[in-house]
Amino acid sequence: MSKQNKAAKLALPTKVVGKPAKVTIHKLPTGVPGLDDILGGGIPEFSFNIIAGKPGCGKTTLAHQIAFANATAKKPALYFTVLGEPGIKMLRYQQQFSFFDESRLGKDIRLINLADVLMQQDSNAVLDEIIKQVTAIHPSVVVVDSFRTAVHKAVATSGELEIQSFTHRLAQFLTSWQATTFLVGEYVEDEIHDNPLFTIADGLFWLSQVTERSSVIRKLQIMKLRGQASVPGLHTVRIGDGGLQAYSRALGWIGTRTKPGLRRVLSIGVPELDKMLGGGIREGDSVLVAGPSGTGKSALATQFIAEGLRNGEPGIMVIFGERPERYTHRADTFGLNLEAAQQKGMLETLCFRPLDLSVDEAMQEIRDAISRIGAKRLVIDSLVGFETALAPGFRDTFRESIYRMVGAVNGSGITILSTVEMEDTFTGLPFSSYAISFLTDDIIRFRYVEIDGQLRKVMVVVKMRGGNHSKDIREYVITDKGVVVIHPRRTDYEGLTTGIPQRTGPRKAQANENAPEPKATK
Amino acid sequence: MISQASTPQMRNVAKRLMAYETGVNKRSGTKTAVAFHCCEKLRSRLTILMGDAGYRALLSRALASSEVPWLHAVHVKVDGSLEGWEELDVQLAPAEFFEGRVVLLAQLLGWMVAFIGEDVTLRLVREIWPQAPLNGSDFNKEHGR
Repeated sequence: MSKQNKAAKLALPTKVVGKPAKVTIHKLPTGVPGLDDILGGGIPEFSFNIIAGKPGCGKTTLAHQIAFANATAKKPALYFTVLGEPGIKMLRYQQQFSFFDESRLGKDIRLINLADVLMQQDSNAVLDEIIKQVTAIHPSVVVVDSFRTAVHKAVATSGELEIQSFTHRLAQFLTSWQATTFLVGEYVEDEIHDNPLFTIADGLFWLSQVTERSSVIRKLQIMKLRGQASVPGLHTVRIGDGGLQAYSRALGWIGTRTKPGLRRVLSIGVPELDKMLGGGIREGDSVLVAGPSGTGKSALATQFIAEGLRNGEPGIMVIFGERPERYTHRADTFGLNLEAAQQKGMLETLCFRPLDLSVDEAMQEIRDAISRIGAKRLVIDSLVGFETALAPGFRDTFRESIYRMVGAVNGSGITILSTVEMEDTFTGLPFSSYAISFLTDDIIRFRYVEIDGQLRKVMVVVKMRGGNHSKDIREYVITDKGVVVIHPRRTDYEGLTTGIPQRTGPRKAQANENAPEPKATK
Repeated sequence: MISQASTPQMRNVAKRLMAYETGVNKRSGTKTAVAFHCCEKLRSRLTILMGDAGYRALLSRALASSEVPWLHAVHVKVDGSLEGWEELDVQLAPAEFFEGRVVLLAQLLGWMVAFIGEDVTLRLVREIWPQAPLNGSDFNKEHGR
């Protein structure tokens, strides 16, 4: 082949074999806080969906929120009621929610009762009426509530095949009219396998109520959503003044940035402890401070936050049980002015009271607070208080929840310090009652020891992931500066970790020895 | 006894709606063949919301709780329209017949307010009579006291 021919050949346009262009599926907002994230962005436009569950789960409210979130005067939402809750009762109850704007009724939101059509005629007449209304109004959203009652009569009179035909025709018609459809129905999970409706549907929103002792928690599962990745699993749902609020199992941190490559070393706020930690904590780490009551875990947590504030790092303190004012008062005694930081918007204190809390809800609040102030440090004081505040149904999965929470927070580059109460045993040194040490990067253990007839306090850094740390057991006190490490490691005792050490060295003169712990005053 | 639904405030609204409706019909030259014209207009809107059966129940309740004796002889048909009033229209004095119509409409509006609230009732009424001289305070219980 000559050079000329070769060049010509190269110049010829090459056939581009690429992937065919994908159709763009727009995603509609649900109007339910948290739900769009769970769905992977929203509801696929023109999809044919089922909202299912037992009575009282919030199906109708969810359908209304979706309708109000998407309806406009030009492209209204058509809400058909069929032998279930009549439109006028819906108006009575749904107007209690803040999303319900009565000024949009009759324009954006149109309620149409099909009960008479079904009672006097049959499901074909219902379909004809839906077709008539949709053709006339061109809605963006169509809701049929309750669809189950609509098909009941057809089953009784015409059989299953007729129902399949009815559903198929309805789905085809509404999709061709570019309406996003929601069929609301009271179904039980056993029906999923046999009912062809669930095969036809593009999306299946399953609402349920879980009862555990005296506590009832609402849950939502996206069992099916064609064309997009939703967050799997059961998500907590609350119904409040604003309607439904959903809390993603993924805690809303999906897609957030991961730990930075080059991580700074942060001071914990206690210089001697920083040395024990090999210089400090690595940014984005999870630190667990374990110890019995009164050993200074909350004091250290306060110093950790205060140190961050001194370096311009906003912080969040999540407190369970203890009152926030006690926290600020303790900080005052250490000379740390947390109130000033709160006023500047550098610090937020979230106080959760024991009240059927779910981890997902707590995390949503923490996440919102982190976003509000751009927090870099987070304290959870304490994990035991957190567990106590949870509804009984969540306690069984507490460890898993903590795993998700810590992973999510650390994944976004925030350094977290959690405390956990440990009952001191005098035979060993357990690190945590939750067996969660595997998910923490660093563990600091506080404990009481009996030395020379006094109950003193010692600390040890048990673990530092990816870093070297001191193996020394150090005595510390709580002074008006907070936690202060005193004395180099003691070599004249053994068995310090048991709490009842044995002296190995010569006994020094003990006369008139004062407790090395002047009480914090102010 | 004046029922809870038929307050003087609601009677006032009913009278104004009936006067407005009469005025519209006069201007357009339409002869009002139906004595309960306002109820009929409400029926057409409310049956969309609650079905014939729902509207029938509401209107029957309004009739039953009315303090006007002759209204007890009037019945609601399956489709929600009224029957049994035609001969009474001839027998009764015009003022008495008019008063009964006012009371029934007031009862109906009163039950709507009790059930779906002032704002949504006003919204539905305005859908039917967009030009009628009504405002939010007409249905407001506090305003009516």
